[in-house]
Amino acid sequence: MAIRANPHLIDELEKYGAQDVVKCYHCGNCTATCPFSGEVFVFPRKSMRYLQLGLDVRLQGNLEPWLCYYCGECSEECPRGAEPGETMMSMRRWLTARYDFTGLSGLFYRSAKAELLAIVLVALLTGLGLTLFGLSQGSIDVYDGPGAFLPASSIHIFDWVMAGVLVLLLGINCVRMWWYTMGSDKEVRIPPLEYLKQLFLVPWHFLTQRRYSQCDRKSPWAIHLVLMLSYLTMLVLIMFFLHRVQHGPAIDWRAHAFGYAAAAGLVVTTIYALQGRLRKTRPHYQHSHETDWIFLALLLMVSLTGIAQHILHRGGWETAANVLYVVHMMGVVPMLVLEVPFSKWSHMAYRPLGMYFSTLREKAVLAAEDPEKSRPAAAAQTA
Amino acid sequence: MATNASPNRIGVFFSHANTGRLGAVDLQQVMEFARQLPGVVATEEMGAGAPPDPKDVAADIHRLELTSLVIAGDMPGAQKPAFTRAMVMAGGDPDEVRLASFGEAGAASTDPDSIAQAAVACAVHGVPFGLAVTPARVPVHPDTLVIGAGVAGIETALRIAQAGHKVHLVERSATIGGHMAMFDKTFPTLDCAACILTPKMVAVGQHDNIDILNFSEVQAVGGSPGEYKVRVLRRARRVDPVACVACHACRDVCPVRVPSEFDEGIVDRKAIYMAFPQAIPNSYVVDGEQCLWVQSEGKKCGACVKKCPKDAIHLDEESHSVELTVGNIVVATGYDAFDASLIERYGYGVLPNVLSALEFERLTNASGPTGGRIVTRSTQRNRRTKEEEWVFDTDAPAPRSVAIIHCVGSRDQNHNPYCSRVCCMYSLKFAHLVKEKLPDATCYQFYIDMRAFGKGYEEFFERIKDEGVFVVRGRSARVEARPDGMVIRGEDIVHDRIMEFPVDMVLLAAGLEPARGAHRLASVLGIRPDDDGWFTELNYNTDPTGTNRGAIHVAGVCQGPKDIPDTVAQASAVAARVLGSVISGSVRIDRESVSSAEAAANAARLAGTSPREEPWPSEPTHT
Repeated sequence: MAIRANPHLIDELEKYGAQDVVKCYHCGNCTATCPFSGEVFVFPRKSMRYLQLGLDVRLQGNLEPWLCYYCGECSEECPRGAEPGETMMSMRRWLTARYDFTGLSGLFYRSAKAELLAIVLVALLTGLGLTLFGLSQGSIDVYDGPGAFLPASSIHIFDWVMAGVLVLLLGINCVRMWWYTMGSDKEVRIPPLEYLKQLFLVPWHFLTQRRYSQCDRKSPWAIHLVLMLSYLTMLVLIMFFLHRVQHGPAIDWRAHAFGYAAAAGLVVTTIYALQGRLRKTRPHYQHSHETDWIFLALLLMVSLTGIAQHILHRGGWETAANVLYVVHMMGVVPMLVLEVPFSKWSHMAYRPLGMYFSTLREKAVLAAEDPEKSRPAAAAQTA
Repeated sequence: MATNASPNRIGVFFSHANTGRLGAVDLQQVMEFARQLPGVVATEEMGAGAPPDPKDVAADIHRLELTSLVIAGDMPGAQKPAFTRAMVMAGGDPDEVRLASFGEAGAASTDPDSIAQAAVACAVHGVPFGLAVTPARVPVHPDTLVIGAGVAGIETALRIAQAGHKVHLVERSATIGGHMAMFDKTFPTLDCAACILTPKMVAVGQHDNIDILNFSEVQAVGGSPGEYKVRVLRRARRVDPVACVACHACRDVCPVRVPSEFDEGIVDRKAIYMAFPQAIPNSYVVDGEQCLWVQSEGKKCGACVKKCPKDAIHLDEESHSVELTVGNIVVATGYDAFDASLIERYGYGVLPNVLSALEFERLTNASGPTGGRIVTRSTQRNRRTKEEEWVFDTDAPAPRSVAIIHCVGSRDQNHNPYCSRVCCMYSLKFAHLVKEKLPDATCYQFYIDMRAFGKGYEEFFERIKDEGVFVVRGRSARVEARPDGMVIRGEDIVHDRIMEFPVDMVLLAAGLEPARGAHRLASVLGIRPDDDGWFTELNYNTDPTGTNRGAIHVAGVCQGPKDIPDTVAQASAVAARVLGSVISGSVRIDRESVSSAEAAANAARLAGTSPREEPWPSEPTHT
């Protein structure tokens, strides 16, 4: 099948954070260094090649970026300073944009201004909407109970509607991901039963991030897991136990013990990541895209305002608590609306799906191959 | 001469990028200088972009009534067609477009402004640069100092000596011969290295005109071109080379064992030693830092003195300095191999069967520790020191598979960014030797780009492939010890797959680095190492053996990585240079002392005369 080369692919990727891809001279050092590079998925060098050749169709169907956790060993050992690790990172951004059917993702990745503008817009709308809604049916001096400014029951409905919309958007993007990486490939056919049998991989990878823990360096996995679990805990508390969390002034420890732990986890890991990116302490913190900063800033802002409004509420300053609650929501809503389907948060779906699809693919490819495998070097003789 | 009265009206156009190695030129100053030259009516700065529109230049020519144009800059040739065209459009003489190229004139290696001014002056006067700016020549002392006695130093010394002139050959180690003496075969002809080199070494040792100063180092250099005063430290040899007959009696009684430098540490030598049986000077020396008698200041041992039948051993000998007066100095200090243990993932120094290239050279050498048998290295417990030792046992099993990794430390931003130029070819040679000696063994080459650039090299590569060597495009990344043996992992980028398989022996094609101490020597001599540490030649294209110092020359790898044929060629070229100077009785002074005013005066003087009419500085005399 003829493939059309896109000569501007590298320029395009540079907007997503790729650097120095042209420096690569294909020694294969990165691939051999990567602990995840195996029989079927051989990366990251091949992706560097796709980029240099402008094969965006191949790149679009490539699952490999989702198999990379950016431990940075490839970049450290690269003899050319071609930054394969950062290239994989930028390809994840590029793929996120490709999977997104609205085109917003690509816009936000390519232009930090556009993303900031969207965030401000959504924040203002949220603030205005919540304030008007609160004033119309309650008093700003009451936090919970009768006459509350923003009663848990209303917020609960709002949360579920928002969650529904976001899941729908992300779901459509996930289907597109499946089509690009699996569905459109005529060569590898995977029976539907196999899809069912391996389905457990999605929650398994989502919850444990098992593969990340197989990197040579363990601490990034630990940090990431704490951040993810904290976030998940918060999500569960808010989606299912909002009334318990919001009622005061007595502290319902059954819910709040989890809430405090999650808040602590979020704050600590976010600050750790922020200072890591500022000081460039680790290979994967060497290069920061604008969206990385926006993501971390929003996360920190949301965590801190959440904690502050909680303290104010328990302290009896209900007016102040209500004001901060609105501010908090002005962070939460843009963060979720913009990041979950269109930006960094989307990887919570793409990564586990990537593992799931790649496992299916690997099994199919290996099964199709001749069971009698020739010696590895036999074909290399005439290289 | 005629220039002042000449009707020439010259416009000088500057097109200089002011970047890279010629960045230090102060263009304003050069333009100021150019305006004062006779006949120059206009100077113009054009920047270094695309050539100007010939129409604009033609308009300038008309307006200023120019008869000649000079294009000055780092690469003026690229602009010339536009100017020639402009000259034709303006009805002028298209041949009257001259170039003043700063780069070609060597602006990088000397005082750049001065050289750039000289280049412009020469172009204005229409005199070849080399003619006007030949530095003044001064009388030369007939003796020559050669620093480093590898194949380059040996070749230079022999050629000068055979022409009848005196050479002092300074060598840091105990024997002359350098790295080539360690090799088994040379590529691509597979000649026996020793068969080529040892006769030359013997010739050097026996030549009346060559004074070998082994175990010596150049400490200080004074004086000026043609008359250098050199102080050489002669470290204590502690054995009289004339009396010693190399009977080995001393070696047998010496109790001290240290790794042999000549054998790359794969076997031990004694504290009193001869590097190898064909060492020149063919006598023992004492390693003072290891000798028990020397270290205990005469309280211990001394066994060798008692055993020596010729009373040749004087353990109390002291190091001393000698003063030499020489006219020319040849630097041929060669290289040291890259320390492969810096790349931890290859396991060098941790895994016994990961060998550096030089170690393998000794292992496969017919006169080496195993008599040329390629065997795996085993670990043994030393009964005395209770430490684990790695030994090559002649009866140990031969490797069944050997992997050779290219570009170790070379073409790598984390280590040396340059290509070491010899590794591809010697790796192919290794593959051939493995296949020749162990036909049943499999041999893999992990390479990035195969640089088989010389005469017969590509054919050699094809031959090696026909011999059944597996060549894998993709540099292997790691060598790991597993319970059942060593495993090598790399990417085969042609077939897009990971290769991971067990190997018994891994050879690391470690690159070349400037010899240890090269930087210090450069500062002693006043020559310049480049960013990578290789000595900078005067001009890459036209003077690859000269340096910024008039009578100091560079030969061999110390100027940049090269193989044996290129080294010998360069060494011969240096010998020709030195002989030219010694026979003519004069040597040019340092390029740095060329003044632009002098060059301009020379050019003015020479303008209008044919180069052939200018007499040579001194007629060569034939005897």
